[in-house]
Amino acid sequence: MKVSVVRGGGLAGITTRTEVSRSALPTAAAGILDRLVEEAGVREPPAPSSPSGPDQMLYEVEISDDDGTVRVRFTDADLPDGVRKLIEWVDSRAEKIHRLDV
Amino acid sequence: MISAPRPTPHPACSIAPPDLLSRLASQGTAEQRDAALSALAASASMRTQRSMLSQVRRRLGNEVANQLAGLDVTPERRQTIYDNQRQGRSFLPGVRVRGEDDPPTADADVNGAYDGSAATYDFYRDVFNRDSLDGQGMELVSSVHYGVDFDNAFWNGAQMVYGDGSGRVFVKGALAQSIDVVGHELTHGVTSFTANLAYSKQSGALNESFSDVFGSLVKQRHLNQTADQADWLIGAGTLVPALGKALRSMSAPGTAYDGDRQPDHMDGYVDLPDDNDPRNDNGGVHINSGIPNKAFYLVASALGGQAWGTAGAIWFHTLTERLQSKAQFVDAAEQTMQVAKEMFGDTAQSSVASAWQQVGVIS
Repeated sequence: MKVSVVRGGGLAGITTRTEVSRSALPTAAAGILDRLVEEAGVREPPAPSSPSGPDQMLYEVEISDDDGTVRVRFTDADLPDGVRKLIEWVDSRAEKIHRLDV
Repeated sequence: MISAPRPTPHPACSIAPPDLLSRLASQGTAEQRDAALSALAASASMRTQRSMLSQVRRRLGNEVANQLAGLDVTPERRQTIYDNQRQGRSFLPGVRVRGEDDPPTADADVNGAYDGSAATYDFYRDVFNRDSLDGQGMELVSSVHYGVDFDNAFWNGAQMVYGDGSGRVFVKGALAQSIDVVGHELTHGVTSFTANLAYSKQSGALNESFSDVFGSLVKQRHLNQTADQADWLIGAGTLVPALGKALRSMSAPGTAYDGDRQPDHMDGYVDLPDDNDPRNDNGGVHINSGIPNKAFYLVASALGGQAWGTAGAIWFHTLTERLQSKAQFVDAAEQTMQVAKEMFGDTAQSSVASAWQQVGVIS
């Protein structure tokens, strides 16, 4: 499984991609990722995204595994708590790959 | 889309700044001189009233002074800074850490947000006689340390929000301490109370451009710079150095950081869909804003002097009195040309027209 977070908009308008592969994680961390993905609920059909306010961040979270790829989009105003926790955890991992998405 | 014609203001409109009025009073035509003198008298009297009320407050205390507030002569800055303690949206605004009359704290982000908001409030009041974002003295609320390593600052419709930055995109602590970033964000508030430019494609790029224009002018006034002395950068030093020197360059769009896609001419307009895809930036609002940004820079450079008194006055009147929410670049061009003529005469109008021609918005 791979989790990718694409962030754009914002004050800067710069798009970045941060991703972490489950296979790169130690066993315990892989278990935490499984739980966070589950709790983020991104496999459920998302609520319609609300219009973005000025300089708010736009998010796209992508989960890829053997079952296929799920892709959901949010703004700062409607980012669910579970997705926010997943993003913060991905950001906190040394194994993540972070780059400009151009 | 353009609003219905409004009454033409007097040649020296009351929102013109004192230094411009002084110049008109001494060097203008007879008509300009009379108008400038009466505007100067009104602004001097407002300063006098402000000072008198301050004295009353000192002598009699706030209670009596507040009873005089009905006289509505003293726009007073009101602001509060909160610490979100890295908790995000569910904890806004957070814990109160500094009010209007409180001394600086040990937290540089708190003080940066305070000073930037104060400079922005003072800019709108002193230059354009506007009392806060809504023109009605609304309190400026700011939250610092929003979320965990959050790489953004934004106006959420009710208050300012500043992340700490991750150190991967923004330098940690830089956003709340960048005066033009603060001015940019608070100007989104002014826009929402006036033209309310729809945040999508061209009207969204205009929304962004007005925020860059007045964010830059807040900084230029703070540094007492003329147009030729300003760096015309937005957020200089806020990006990590590996990415670039600033978020945007108004004088040379497309050169601020590695990967900056801003065009400086309609030939380079980037037509993106507004589909909530983070790559598409609400239809390129932070990309195509380079075109009106460059137009403003050209006008400010052509008119010379302190840009807030000339080009800034034209842009402010256009934003607050002329544009409607679906305005396109060509509407901004037509209205700024008209306002320039009304406020400053034919030469200024020619400078504005030339700028919009140089960026390809009009031919």
